[in-house]
Amino acid sequence: MPIEIPKDKWNGKVRTINLGATAAEGGTRAKVITVGGETSMPYLHFEAPTPNTPLIAVEIKSRKPTDWSPLLAEAWGEAMNNPAAWAKAAEAAGAEMLILWLTLEDTPADAVSAVKAVLAASGLPLAVFGPGQAEKDNDLMVAVAEAAKGERLLLGICEDKNYRTIVATAMANGHLVNARTPMDVNLAKQLNILITDMGLPADRIIMDPTVGALGYGIEYGYSVMERLRLAALQGDSMTQFPMLVTVGFEAWKAKESKVGEGVPASWGKWEARAINWEITTATALIESGASIVVLRHPESVKRVKAAISELMTA
Amino acid sequence: MTFDLVFMNHTITFTLDEKQTTVNVPTGTLLSDAAHLAGIEIGQPCGGQGRCGRCAVQVLSGNVRRRSTLRLSPEALEQGFALACQSIVEGDAAIHVPQQEKIERNLTTDRVAAEVQVPDGYAFEWSQPIRRATVHLNPPTMDDQTDDWSRLQTALRTQHQLENTTASLALLRRLGEILRASEWQISVIYSNIGSYEAPLFQILDIRQLEDLDDPVYAAAIDIGTTTVSLWLVDLISGQVKAQVAEYNSQIARGEDVISRIIYTGKSGGSADLQQRVVETINRLTEAACKRAKTRPENVIKAIIAGNSTMIHLLLGIPAASIRLSPFITAVNHPPILASREIGFNFCPDAIIDCLPGVASYVGADITAGVLSSGLDTAEDITLFIDVGTNGEIVFGNRDWLVTCACSAGPAFEGAGVVDGMRATTGAIEEVWINGETFEPSLRVIGGKKAKGICGSGLISLIAEMFLTGLLDKAGNVNLTLPTNRVRAGDHGGEYVVAWGAETETGRDVVITRVDVDNLLRAKAAIYAGFSMLAEQVGMTLEDVQQMYIGGSFGKYINVEKAVQIGLLPDLAWDKFKFLGNTAIKGAYLALLDTQQRERVDDIARRMTYIELSADNSFYEAFTSALFLPHTDLFRFPSVEAAILSKVESQRSDS
Amino acid sequence: MALSGIQIYKMLPQTNCKECGFPTCLAFAMKLAAKQVELSACPYVTEANKAQLAESSAPPIRLVTLTGAAGEVKAGNEVCLFRHEKTFYNKPGLFIRVKSAAGVAEADSYKVNYVGMDFSVDGFAVEADSPAAMTETVKAVRGATKRPLILLSKNPDILAAGLAALPGEKPLLCGADASNWEKVAELAKTAGAPLAVSADTIDSLADLTEKIKAKGVEDLVLDPQATHLGKSLALGTQIRRLALKNNRAVGFPLIAFPCNAADELIAASQAISKYAGFVVLSEFKPELLYALLVLRENIYTDPQKPIQVQPGIYEINSPRPESPVLITTNFSITYFAVANEVEGSGLPAWLVVTDAEGMSVLTAWAAGKFDAERIAKAIKTFNVADKVSKKRVVLPGHVAVLSGELEAELPDWEIRVGPREAVDLPAFMKTALN
Repeated sequence: MPIEIPKDKWNGKVRTINLGATAAEGGTRAKVITVGGETSMPYLHFEAPTPNTPLIAVEIKSRKPTDWSPLLAEAWGEAMNNPAAWAKAAEAAGAEMLILWLTLEDTPADAVSAVKAVLAASGLPLAVFGPGQAEKDNDLMVAVAEAAKGERLLLGICEDKNYRTIVATAMANGHLVNARTPMDVNLAKQLNILITDMGLPADRIIMDPTVGALGYGIEYGYSVMERLRLAALQGDSMTQFPMLVTVGFEAWKAKESKVGEGVPASWGKWEARAINWEITTATALIESGASIVVLRHPESVKRVKAAISELMTA
Repeated sequence: MTFDLVFMNHTITFTLDEKQTTVNVPTGTLLSDAAHLAGIEIGQPCGGQGRCGRCAVQVLSGNVRRRSTLRLSPEALEQGFALACQSIVEGDAAIHVPQQEKIERNLTTDRVAAEVQVPDGYAFEWSQPIRRATVHLNPPTMDDQTDDWSRLQTALRTQHQLENTTASLALLRRLGEILRASEWQISVIYSNIGSYEAPLFQILDIRQLEDLDDPVYAAAIDIGTTTVSLWLVDLISGQVKAQVAEYNSQIARGEDVISRIIYTGKSGGSADLQQRVVETINRLTEAACKRAKTRPENVIKAIIAGNSTMIHLLLGIPAASIRLSPFITAVNHPPILASREIGFNFCPDAIIDCLPGVASYVGADITAGVLSSGLDTAEDITLFIDVGTNGEIVFGNRDWLVTCACSAGPAFEGAGVVDGMRATTGAIEEVWINGETFEPSLRVIGGKKAKGICGSGLISLIAEMFLTGLLDKAGNVNLTLPTNRVRAGDHGGEYVVAWGAETETGRDVVITRVDVDNLLRAKAAIYAGFSMLAEQVGMTLEDVQQMYIGGSFGKYINVEKAVQIGLLPDLAWDKFKFLGNTAIKGAYLALLDTQQRERVDDIARRMTYIELSADNSFYEAFTSALFLPHTDLFRFPSVEAAILSKVESQRSDS
Repeated sequence: MALSGIQIYKMLPQTNCKECGFPTCLAFAMKLAAKQVELSACPYVTEANKAQLAESSAPPIRLVTLTGAAGEVKAGNEVCLFRHEKTFYNKPGLFIRVKSAAGVAEADSYKVNYVGMDFSVDGFAVEADSPAAMTETVKAVRGATKRPLILLSKNPDILAAGLAALPGEKPLLCGADASNWEKVAELAKTAGAPLAVSADTIDSLADLTEKIKAKGVEDLVLDPQATHLGKSLALGTQIRRLALKNNRAVGFPLIAFPCNAADELIAASQAISKYAGFVVLSEFKPELLYALLVLRENIYTDPQKPIQVQPGIYEINSPRPESPVLITTNFSITYFAVANEVEGSGLPAWLVVTDAEGMSVLTAWAAGKFDAERIAKAIKTFNVADKVSKKRVVLPGHVAVLSGELEAELPDWEIRVGPREAVDLPAFMKTALN
């Protein structure tokens, strides 16, 4: 007798969010990319189709980073000196979206020129993140949002501390916000409520639950994401947002990736291990519900992309 | 306000103090505007947003359309009440404007704890174990050289059939003097300390002959961390003859139980704390006895409730293990003691009976509270909370009882908040904020100038700030609003509740971001305790059929405001019952009834203590409650409705 | 169907006799519901209720144990689909596939340390294409490792040869399929060894397990033969779901073969987080193994435990020797509150996180886990004095009471009492610490 496969019937759905605006919508992007729209736990095709493929975004910086692993410097080479060149290299490596991460040294004018350079160099949808200090982020992001009005940029980092300024400028200039909270289902939901209470339409929010890398708390982010997706499917509208995870940033902070000397031999070969670290973190989090995964190494981009295409196969 | 005569098509008659006034107004006029036109000013401290309920009027005839009835109980609606600021004229109507105090009574719930009543069927000789016997002794002579004690024992045997009697050394020491001073005609107070089958009668006191209806005094005592309460009870009538309370003088050695436990670790600390609480109780006894025109040494028994730490400190038992994981008391149920062992000023042999506790942080005050609330016999699933510095929660009914303690901190007692204070004269106890001007209306205890804000004032303030948008749901003060009452202060954003010119100190009374955080944490801890207890037994708060609120806090709290900030679960108002100090009431009931006393032991045995810090789920429940009113708004449908109606009324206004 | 604490309580004597070691019958019932105690601890439960309670507490996924010459590997006994619902209990065993003893000794002795724990390979999966080769290889492998083995072959004779070379052990026979199941089941039954069953649909898997169970073999492992990541995720999820709904035909642990996948690392990491009980890898590669061992440890961490931050000294905004030293506890929410405030202010600081067993400042202080002694110990253990030029620590305002004792513990340090709330830290650092 055939076994009946139990299928969950959910009422809820992750919101469908469009990233980037083409000329027709008032921007300059080559095309609009859509994420979200899921009505099941990740990649359970027997239950419901997965309408949109998760995106691989590549992280680039407005200035050449001095604290990145030498392996990354080697991989990107000269392109790292210039955000426009880096954007092109990232696109060539398979990026489907770019994250331009600004630094504390940037003035609003620097930030605007970096954003303009990247927009000119690549037609991919773009996210622009401030350095992560509330006041500085506010200064930079308001300038960027105004200068790139209509592009449907994803603006970050929008946290409970500074959400008002970033949400206000996103509303005024037609952008999206990346709502970031520290690894907690309730905090994530609370920030989404605060943001929508301000009047930003819900189709302009991406949530960033903050994740840890493999070995550095990945399990917290992993479960928070599974719980957020479950809550979304159960109909909790304030969790029905696609999720972005900054895997590259986290994984390359780990000693396992960053350094090749003075570490135990049992860790194995450095370069392979470092890339494994980023890939393992990325795929675990994709399977727990990430829609946008931000990576740093071109080899990771390639292998994670292959994994996504397998996952998208029923 | 002028109206074109053509549209004045409805006649509204207002009655105030038996005086009638009539106005003509068009369809769609607010009743409050019509009243204004009629020269009647109806108080609207909330600025006409339908939130304070102060403008409730009674529609005697005709119809009005009630946009919002949030502040009205079903009974009030039945009687035709409507909120003047939320009701629209649609036809002729006759409106009765009640006086302010009448409105007050229609508001929410009765905020005063019930009076003490002697339990039905109480009888001194039947209900409780203390007895008084009149004994006539023949004085000794040269022929009858029986010793005093045997003489008394023999008389008790022959005159009262008390076969087996005993007494303490302390009693024997004063026996001869009393017998002679009373010329051998005495009243003996005794109690059976043996079993029913094999009684052993302990003589507690011997007195000059008393009349049968002369009082026999005993005391019910609740030792709180902050306040000690004592009721002086006449066991003959069962009546409470005096109720007294004062601060626990241990406060000088630390405001919370943890500080006091730490203090016991210092040299002489334990003795100091023991002496302080005994002195407090002795002073209270003096005061109560003075009022009842008796003396402390006539008090023959005391039943004591109190949290586990307070009981340990009273008895001088080391309390250190209460504080340290795995949080174990030295004793949950102390044996019966004699007054002289502790140092009370009662009769030296007075029985001191400390009620049993359950765990380190759920003590005898709670078992006594369960007794007096009747939770252990309730059919309905009941949630009981006693709010003090800690919030102890009991959940269950006659079939099962679970309990936990959550550390709410002293915020609701006014501590830990910049301008917080206890609920005494000068404390702001209620706040209404106008949603357009953001100006507050205050009610100050004693009607004097404000000094600070007490617990109920803080709850009402946070609720008002939230509903008017001064606070976002995370408790951030919205500094972009057009009022000079919000400003950036030393502790983040702040709101000026009273300008210096209106306060007693001359300084602004403010609430700061940090204060709001403190209050949110306190309310979140309590609400998380509720959710956790329910979850532990596989239920949700929606299964709660009634809610009892005890503790002194319970007397003053405004349910609606407490629900709006997410401190109490969103139940129908008629499900809340305020019980006042349930601990002392429980001690009183146990004093008057042997069966009730045994019931407390049974309650303590039956209660299952749940340690909230044991796993992660408490933090989950806590963070989700750390929001206004809660991260899951669906748990608070009435608050959701209040927010929606506010949004809608703003829309219809614009 | 799992019962709630109250439902179980109603089947207990309700006498609160305390003989089970818990203060009340309800406390015991809640422990039973949480599967933290055995029903046998209650001497007074009736036989009828005992049977009913045992039924409801039977694990939906059978516990299967492989034993080697030394050591064992367990899989099964899982009770949930998502780790946050409860926890995942038995970490999947990582096995290296070998055709000879070459490299086995090296892999066997592999040891890697992760936050104080030593991890290693769990066993080896031996493959051979003839009975003689199997006998020889198993003997050789046994000479190099004592860990449990998996015998890979569909040929009953080859499996028998392997079994014969492992007297007294219970290797996993891998295994049975539609064509060989009768003979292989017989082998497993005789040896008492667990048996892996492969088929490419759940229906045929269930059909096989029912037949094999009827032969008297209970310790089964399922090999759903997934061909790519989408398929393996779907099959793993479906089987776990069915098992949790008490479908006993598939209530067994799974075995996965990332060694055959296009990207072994990715397939193995999916197997670890999505339901495999045994994972077979193609070769011994430390850079791959280390990542998988750490992932397994992370995924199988009990999520019910409070989130703790590793005690230590944290650098915020690139502190310099003259930057202030702040003290807090290792409760994650406390740590985040402090770290985020300071980070957001842009002010550099050293943040010393003490081991307060995951409690917040006040709770830890109340419970005696955050006192002068512990703080002083942290300052010394983390060699804070070597990093700073100014020996000055800032205590949280809530524990101002500790400053005297801390001065006694750290005589050459200046003790400052900071604000009670993290939000006030930046202002304090700007004004009071200059």
